[in-house]
Amino acid sequence: MSADTEFDMLGEVRAGFPSPADEEPTEKLDLVRLVVRHPASTFFFRVGGTSMVDAEMDEGDIIIVDRSIEPYNGCSAVCFIDGEFTVKRIEQHADHTLLVAANPKFKPLRITPDNDFTIWGVVTYVIKKM
Amino acid sequence: MFALADCNNFFVSCERVFRPDLEGRPVVVLSHNDGCAIARSNEAKALGIKMGDPLFKIRDVVERHDVTVFSTNMSLYADFSRRVRAVLRDSAPCIEVYSIDEAFLDLRGVDNPDFDGFAKALSKRCRRLTGIPMSVGVAPTKTLAKIAAELCKSYPKLAGGCFMYRPQDIEKVLRRWPIEDVWGIGRRSAPRLKAMGIKSAYDFRSLKEDYVRRMMGITGVRTWQELHGIPAIGFEAKSDAKQSICNSRSFSTEIYDFGELMEQVAKFASMTAEKLRSQGSVCSSLTVFAATNRFHEGEVQQYGHICVPLSEPTDSTIDIVRIVREALREIYVRGTGYKKAGVIASGIMPREGIAVSMFDGEHQDRHRRLMSAIDDIRRRAGDGSVIVASEGLAEVKANSAHRSPAYTTRWSDLPIVSL
Repeated sequence: MSADTEFDMLGEVRAGFPSPADEEPTEKLDLVRLVVRHPASTFFFRVGGTSMVDAEMDEGDIIIVDRSIEPYNGCSAVCFIDGEFTVKRIEQHADHTLLVAANPKFKPLRITPDNDFTIWGVVTYVIKKM
Repeated sequence: MFALADCNNFFVSCERVFRPDLEGRPVVVLSHNDGCAIARSNEAKALGIKMGDPLFKIRDVVERHDVTVFSTNMSLYADFSRRVRAVLRDSAPCIEVYSIDEAFLDLRGVDNPDFDGFAKALSKRCRRLTGIPMSVGVAPTKTLAKIAAELCKSYPKLAGGCFMYRPQDIEKVLRRWPIEDVWGIGRRSAPRLKAMGIKSAYDFRSLKEDYVRRMMGITGVRTWQELHGIPAIGFEAKSDAKQSICNSRSFSTEIYDFGELMEQVAKFASMTAEKLRSQGSVCSSLTVFAATNRFHEGEVQQYGHICVPLSEPTDSTIDIVRIVREALREIYVRGTGYKKAGVIASGIMPREGIAVSMFDGEHQDRHRRLMSAIDDIRRRAGDGSVIVASEGLAEVKANSAHRSPAYTTRWSDLPIVSL
């Protein structure tokens, strides 16, 4: 996540006797507005399953999915395969698509036209409790 | 030009967004309390399941054909309705929300030689962004746009969008269009017209205007004009919040108990319904809110509110109290001391001229007679002489054995994705 760079600084602290009212921001930082760029097409999912070392995501994390984003090579996406939602990195090759798991222990899955598979939406943020 | 954007089998489509495995499979959504079918997938329709069929009547078919059954999940449908409206607002200068799953778009002044492409692109865009399949009909009038949207449902080749404007095309469609399926032709008019040999929309359109006026009044004439391609039904682009009735109050002491809070909120609901009836209007959405004391030291203020778009506009105390009760259940948090609550009715429109649908007719008539009797007694014997027995009685738990999670509106119900 590189979300931290997108916060704005709201004024500076002055020396002396600042009145609290002077520092009152006219607008608050709104995390929802930060992570939900397109309210109509943005959905939240929760990561289930066992948490794994080295994975980018852990059990309990909330992932933000925006369906308005066209899937691109290298994006993480919520996919629907074999009756289950799963989050994978999409690798587009000339003649096939590869689904790469966040957990390096899982082998990449090669998608052929025979697979019943849909990309449900592209992951834009992960909310992780530390 | 006007467009009608109509979500296909809306409640079923909402359920399928988080259950893609149900694409292509028969699905039914039941009414409040799991009474009867109120939404059916095309596959369920093909099995002969009818709108309004009670669950016990279709139980056999459900089991034999492995039909997936859902209880009503209003918070899910309301959330998707909001998303779809947002997509529509981005695509037209002006929209008129007609019901939970339909909206008119005012395209007058939009300089677009390719309305067919516009309609298909909008349908595709809605599907991609929200997951909801939609039919978009574009035509010179609202009544014709509604027919064009219906055509999309019958002909998958139209790819969700249909632009119907050439007089010869319109005539061809209207010749085959049953008169009872024309928007604005009421349950009562249709059999009368058919008895007179007026079977299709084209037959009706071919009548003399004077004749229609004498027989059906101004409402009939409007429909007649609209079928001729002359816009006669106004476009009401009022914002959702512009016209509303709000009944709310602060309580003298904080209310913790659901039953007690509901009793208060039911009172507001019933005042709202009376106000609607007194001005001859109906509302198409209801908002319920409940808040804790703002001035409590060290406690976070809780503010819950939920907006429920109605599938049927209503002015009935019974309907409104029931819906409000469901809604309050969604926002009520146990152990919270509520200091204020209220009910807001919005999407207010005149009762005359609302769409005729399956719940109209006998049921609504009986309701209406009951409501006017209640209003009468109250006028003579004072407020509170008659109340809807929603409260004070033992809590009756609604049946909702097949309700899907509130995927989009409750943290504990988020859909699960595996790694």
